[in-house]
Amino acid sequence: MRRVQLFATCLGDLLFPAAVADAAALLRGAGCDIEFPPEQTCCGQPAFNAGHRRAAARFEQTFARAFSSELPIVCPSGSCASMVAHRMKTHYDIWELSAFLDAIGAEPPARNDGVRIAYHSSCHLLRELGADDAPRRLLERSGAELVPLARPDLCCGFGGTFSVRHPEVSVAMADDKLADGGRADVLVTADPGCLMQLQARGARLGTGRVVHLATALARGVA
Amino acid sequence: MSFPVLDEHPRKATDAATLRLFRARTAAWASLDDVQALRDRAYEIRMRAIDDLDAHLGQFVTALEAAGGKAHLCATAEEARATVARLCSGASLAAKSKSMLSEEIELNGALAAAGVEVVETDLGEYILQLAGEHPVHIIAPAIEKTKEDVARLLSAVEGVAIEPQLEALAQAARRQLQRVFQQADVGITGANFAVCETGSICLVTNEGNGGLVTSLPRMHIALLGVERLVPTLDDLSVLLQLLARSGTGQTLTTYTRLLTGPRHADEEDGPEELHVVVVDNGRKRIRDSRYKEMLACIRCGACLNVCPIYRQSGGAAYGTVYSGPMGAVLVPLLRGLEREPGLPHASSLCGACTAACPVKIPLHELLLELRRDLVGERIAPRAERFAFTVWSLLWSRPPLYRLSTRFVRFGSRFAALAGPGRVWAAGRALPQPARRRYRDMR
Repeated sequence: MRRVQLFATCLGDLLFPAAVADAAALLRGAGCDIEFPPEQTCCGQPAFNAGHRRAAARFEQTFARAFSSELPIVCPSGSCASMVAHRMKTHYDIWELSAFLDAIGAEPPARNDGVRIAYHSSCHLLRELGADDAPRRLLERSGAELVPLARPDLCCGFGGTFSVRHPEVSVAMADDKLADGGRADVLVTADPGCLMQLQARGARLGTGRVVHLATALARGVA
Repeated sequence: MSFPVLDEHPRKATDAATLRLFRARTAAWASLDDVQALRDRAYEIRMRAIDDLDAHLGQFVTALEAAGGKAHLCATAEEARATVARLCSGASLAAKSKSMLSEEIELNGALAAAGVEVVETDLGEYILQLAGEHPVHIIAPAIEKTKEDVARLLSAVEGVAIEPQLEALAQAARRQLQRVFQQADVGITGANFAVCETGSICLVTNEGNGGLVTSLPRMHIALLGVERLVPTLDDLSVLLQLLARSGTGQTLTTYTRLLTGPRHADEEDGPEELHVVVVDNGRKRIRDSRYKEMLACIRCGACLNVCPIYRQSGGAAYGTVYSGPMGAVLVPLLRGLEREPGLPHASSLCGACTAACPVKIPLHELLLELRRDLVGERIAPRAERFAFTVWSLLWSRPPLYRLSTRFVRFGSRFAALAGPGRVWAAGRALPQPARRRYRDMR
């Protein structure tokens, strides 16, 4: 059994626990033995990205106490994985969920036969971790037909505190992403931040189904 | 202050133009053998000049003056304005080619006050001058204007209706600017690069007006940012391979000019005098800071064309000369962070700018550093600093995290009433915390 530590992330823990459970199910299905370090909280990215380095350092200490740097850490978020990989002093063996599953050759269950899925590349997974193929490959292996976005390069508009500092622009960005993904049956993203933003705007507009990648892979979206 | 979204009409124009430029750049980069290696070389060339700026500047000035030109070193915008005004004394009409530096130092107003009529001859800049507006994009200044807008502005000059067709519009502008080229006493341009070993200045344009401005009037004044030095002609060729490709997707622009000194005895055209006004205006201060990579910028506009915020808000939202990601970094550095505390936050940190930069400036990383300074220098609002301190003290302690998040579901009912929750909820549903946290589900 491959031992991994699961980092739920704060958004995963509080807003999307089902998606985290799906991530755990996928890892178990791929033959992993999962530890959930109970002392985990948040990676501190909101503070770091807003410039509050002292506040961010407190989270880094908490993270260091909760997680071992010896075992792989897997989290269902490209953004939090990038924070741990690039902004912390300690080197961790940190993985975004789909990059990890792809690297160990996991076969997702065929739950999306014929489903038309648009994948939204979250910015940090795409540009900071350089993992854009893994989520697409896994979705295809689950049977989905990938519908390309017209502008896969564009951010969904979340951006942490950006979403409330520039709300009008943030919402307009979400609108464009939801409209772009509207040609598919469902829009899938690998990040709780994007998911929160797109679901929140989608709910207000009454359109667009947005699902976390872990859920799409573990349970299917048909 | 939060950025607005452009109205539908300029938004569509901005979206179409930036997407076209973005796709053209991507294709042009793909046509190179090894664009990453070229970007590395370009970065190295830019940083070599910046790291030893004084020596390179000395070399350029010596070579320029040996070629018969004259250099004027100006520490501030005010000094640069006064220098150009002094050079223009006795002149009544100045023809200008495109120069963002002239916008930065607010040159036109100073010349008007000195009794010199200034006419912009770059088509985009001319249109904006007629409209009484400022550039909203560093390489496509009138990017938000449609051909109908342009027809309206040009028609007003002649008092007859001009068809909103590209050829008719270009003809009208040519007609209207003819007098300016013929009668101007002074030609004013910017300078994309200055070559230290030869004393040449390099001008990169897509319109013929630049050549007329630098050759017909008796005097040519070139405005040069002190950081735009390139050691050798070989180095220049590396940067030129990237500049046009990154800006417009062209291999080279229609006109790429290398001017070395004024007209020499055996030459047929060119000005009698060439003055290069070298402007610091805060650049050496940036060179001495941890932000010196920003000086590597070659003003190609690639970062604007990929920026999702620029795409929604347009250049005017930034409220300054330079917009988009490069403006969000550069302007606070030039003007002082305390005067531009909002600009470092005009980004979702998506990193598209960093990936698009031909000289590998880590733009979104520099925005993060500026945000760090906003907090470190206590420019960030006290309430924000207090909130992050309290939040981090609570949530970095697992027992307090567990305790406080147990009531998140209850508290979230009131989140829409005030503060960030209210701002969020104006356009979006408030996220509902789950009944059970993941940690309670296992």
